[in-house]
Amino acid sequence: MSLALIVMLPFLGALLPGLMMRSGRNACAITTGSVTFLAFSLLLTHAPAVLRGEVIQVSWQWLPALGLNVSFFLDGLGLLFAGLILGIGLLIITYSRFYLSKADSMGAFYTYLLLFQGAMVGIVLSDNILLLLVFWELTSLSSFLLIGFWRHLPEGRQGARMALAVTGGGGLFLIAGMLLLGHAAGSYELSVILERRELIQASPLYLPALLLILGGCFAKSAQFPFHFWLPHAMAAPTPVSAYLHSATMVKAGIFLMARLWPVLAGTEAWTWLVASAGLVTMILGAWIALFKDDLKGLLAYSTVSHLGLVTLLLGLGSPMAAVAAVFHIINHATFKAALFLIAGIVDHEVGTRDVKRLGGLLMLMPITATLGMVAAASMAGMPFLNGFLSKEMMLEQAWHHGWLAPGGWLTPLLATLGAVFSVAYSFRFIVHVFFGPQRDDYPAKPHDPPAGLWLPPALLVALVVLIGLFPETFAGDLVRTASAAAMGAVAPEFHLSIWHGVTPALGMSVVAVAVGLLLLWRYPGVRGLWARGPHPEAKVMFDGVIAALVRFSRALVLNLHNGSLQRYLAILVGAAVALGFAAYLGADGAARAPGGRETLAAGPVVVVAWLLLMVSTLMTVIMHRDRFVALILIGVVGVIVSIGFVYLSAPDLALTQIAVEVGTVILILLALYFLPKVTPVESGLGRCVRDGALAVLGGVGVGVLSWAVMTRDFSSISTYYLEHAKPLGGGANVVNVILVDFRGFDTFGEIIVLGIAALAIFALLEGALHGRLAPRLRNWTPDYAHAADRHPMMMVVATRVMLPLALMVGVYIFLRGHNMPGGGFIAGLVVAIALIMQYMASGFGWAEKRMPVDYHAMIGGGVLVAAATGIGAMVLDYPFLTSAFDYFSLPIVGKFELTSAMPFDIGVFLTVVGAVMLALAQLSKMGQRLNQHAVNTQPMDYNPSADRQADATREN
Amino acid sequence: MLFLLELLISLLIVLGGFFVLVGSIGLIKLGDLMPRLHAPTKATTLGLGGMLIGSMLFFLGVEGKLSIHEVLISLFLFITAPVSAHFMAKAWLHLNAKHRPKLPPTGSNRGWSTYDASHAPEPGWPTSDDPDRPAQ
Repeated sequence: MSLALIVMLPFLGALLPGLMMRSGRNACAITTGSVTFLAFSLLLTHAPAVLRGEVIQVSWQWLPALGLNVSFFLDGLGLLFAGLILGIGLLIITYSRFYLSKADSMGAFYTYLLLFQGAMVGIVLSDNILLLLVFWELTSLSSFLLIGFWRHLPEGRQGARMALAVTGGGGLFLIAGMLLLGHAAGSYELSVILERRELIQASPLYLPALLLILGGCFAKSAQFPFHFWLPHAMAAPTPVSAYLHSATMVKAGIFLMARLWPVLAGTEAWTWLVASAGLVTMILGAWIALFKDDLKGLLAYSTVSHLGLVTLLLGLGSPMAAVAAVFHIINHATFKAALFLIAGIVDHEVGTRDVKRLGGLLMLMPITATLGMVAAASMAGMPFLNGFLSKEMMLEQAWHHGWLAPGGWLTPLLATLGAVFSVAYSFRFIVHVFFGPQRDDYPAKPHDPPAGLWLPPALLVALVVLIGLFPETFAGDLVRTASAAAMGAVAPEFHLSIWHGVTPALGMSVVAVAVGLLLLWRYPGVRGLWARGPHPEAKVMFDGVIAALVRFSRALVLNLHNGSLQRYLAILVGAAVALGFAAYLGADGAARAPGGRETLAAGPVVVVAWLLLMVSTLMTVIMHRDRFVALILIGVVGVIVSIGFVYLSAPDLALTQIAVEVGTVILILLALYFLPKVTPVESGLGRCVRDGALAVLGGVGVGVLSWAVMTRDFSSISTYYLEHAKPLGGGANVVNVILVDFRGFDTFGEIIVLGIAALAIFALLEGALHGRLAPRLRNWTPDYAHAADRHPMMMVVATRVMLPLALMVGVYIFLRGHNMPGGGFIAGLVVAIALIMQYMASGFGWAEKRMPVDYHAMIGGGVLVAAATGIGAMVLDYPFLTSAFDYFSLPIVGKFELTSAMPFDIGVFLTVVGAVMLALAQLSKMGQRLNQHAVNTQPMDYNPSADRQADATREN
Repeated sequence: MLFLLELLISLLIVLGGFFVLVGSIGLIKLGDLMPRLHAPTKATTLGLGGMLIGSMLFFLGVEGKLSIHEVLISLFLFITAPVSAHFMAKAWLHLNAKHRPKLPPTGSNRGWSTYDASHAPEPGWPTSDDPDRPAQ
């Protein structure tokens, strides 16, 4: 439980800073710090057990069908990383309190920071790789917020975008890779995957999975060729750089490589890919860092280089190299975070972090300078500091493994070269910032910062020195457990100590220091050499690639998706036609020939109906410009189709079809009132020919397909429904049982869609009523004359007479639905049409006063009733929407059936009525607004009986 | 007896068919909308009515059970046919406003309801306060 709490605490705590900000900056920082401190303490309670070699696990099922479980585990590697994340996080929170200015929104900053922290802890503690992916994406998103925290700076925004594009894109690789890995291993649980090395490496999916996972890791950990985003992310506030870009986020890729090391490493592909990427990154990063004038840029490239070093060690694939990698992760996190914080102090107190404008700060900022020099010396790998130890181990491994060929000279040479540059830029940091003459043109007057700023780096520097002097005491156990966990085996025997005797590694170190210092001594010359070389600017290339992508997408999208509905339809239908005909022509002869099933004889009535259908369809095409005529013709088509359903024994469909037809025609008629009555000619001949050809091809294709299907005997799923409707669903009407029971979930989704559609109609017309279009509506003159009697007596009387009858029919259709044609949907349409008739007869305003119903609530109520029915089944411990039925008997009524599908059908009914009426109501409101009629008080304009009475009174 | 019944039923069906035919011919032959309206609304109603009565008699006399579907069908026809004819006529009146002066007087102090607001007298007609208003 407490493992999950460690992960959840930062997320829960992320709500607090925004609230505590009202009580001041100190309260805000203390609250944030307490959250992290609490999580850190919880982690430490597990530390003794983990250091003994135990693994702590918790697990809950989340989506077992997908293999996604909420499972966490804590072993040595997880402890190391979680400790770094939370421990350094605590220091960063303290530092940020003093670093952020009053103008910065501290609450938001701490919220982002905690979100990021939670996501990072989630990555390192996840046992389920799908869960890990979720946290992985969360780190990309929260780091985007943090890098772009100073959103008024263009570099901040661009850097954040670039980081998101690269790490987020890498995340996509990782998702694919992890899915392949899980598939190959047969499980998404890390603890299971880690034990299936042989299975995974033998799988054909190994190589693609490896490539994709490494793509994700390299992007996150800024390995060549994805290294370019990290320097641009330096536009972030310095505490963010110190946290994300030295200690945590960039280590996520390294972490994953270490985590999956037992299953992925040890193959040739792994060594080639990982070691060479690491080596190139290490040298390239260090070389560029040597010439960066921005302090943070220098540190960023140095981070890239050190991450390359760790990657190289992981890539070598030997146990001792893995130990060195783990040890260097700790060491790099301590000295690099300290250096970032110190660069932040320099920037904060001097007002610039441009190396060319700095120098001579040793006496002005003694504390800062001391801390900075110790940390930078560790980065250079000077003795008695922790950087020295792990660098020695790296050189040792490089010497032994000689990657290209064991014992070869290339790897040791290149590793030494990396170390040379590393020494050079580290000492450049020291010499060009703190030594040299004091200047009189600093932007601000330099002095040491308040303790809140220098204490966090001081703590880290203390660790640097302590680990450097007593490595076995301070880091031995942690390195041993963490590397054992990373290797999935017992760590090799080793002893961390300063002196290993005169070894090749020591010689390489000495050479590195000597050549590095020489480079610094001759710095102007070296820089001149560098200046003459090519300087590929990654940002320009990245921007170019993005711009090209945008151009390409735009060209693609704007040509396919240019707003022309004809074009969308042409593409969709054309694709379907092409696929259909390709399948048809590709099939063999027997499959293409019509089947041998007996066809039914077509009687004269059928032929007449078919001819009518053809003629009215053709007429619709010919006369579609006259919209009223087209509507009537479409109505004719609908009626014939419903007659067809009756003929083919589908009474439910026929009822639905006729009801939908009536409702649609009425609503379209009402809408047409506001629209032009004639469709203008817009399409040229070419488009007409194209669309006509597509339509004919599509029609012929569907016809051939139907012919092929209907002339064959085939068993469909309908047999199952026909057999089981009565015993399982308790209804004789199979269609209704399918709707409310077998496929109740579909129906549930459909009524929600229907409700949304009605709300969309409401919203669109609301725009015409109140939005930008409202003035146009007001100034519109109807293009037809109005009848003076808007509510004719005949209509009023006829609809009044019909109303109870129609409502009764609705109820009847609803009740019989389960066993005979009918059901909630048809009943809803019938009732809605009956109500529409009332509204049409006496006017919407008049009728609404007599039947004040909120149709929005009706739609929502319908969906809720249907949902409640489904949840009712869950309360009784059945799956959602399980239906039950039983037979009861009452005196007089006799035996009858009650089903739980009935309330569900009521939900359907309410939604349908609400949706239709909402559309009507909105159209009526438009009409009312347009004509500015007052709502009539009488049901009809001309009431002979009332008038006769009036005349009689007048005559008396 | 059965023969007589069958004869009656046949007669009714033939009669109904005849009127439906007449209605259809009228729909084609008659030139203007107003006369044309009479064909489907009057003749078709009568024709269908004949057939429906025939059908009822058939079920009652031959099959031996009372069928009320036909009653309902006629009821709906009798409600819908006049209303739709009424609306078609109204639409025609508005689409052909040139006929308006030729319309005969309504014989009351109110004008043609579809042209004139219900309670405002037709222009040219004396208002209700006018002492010269024609006798009812």
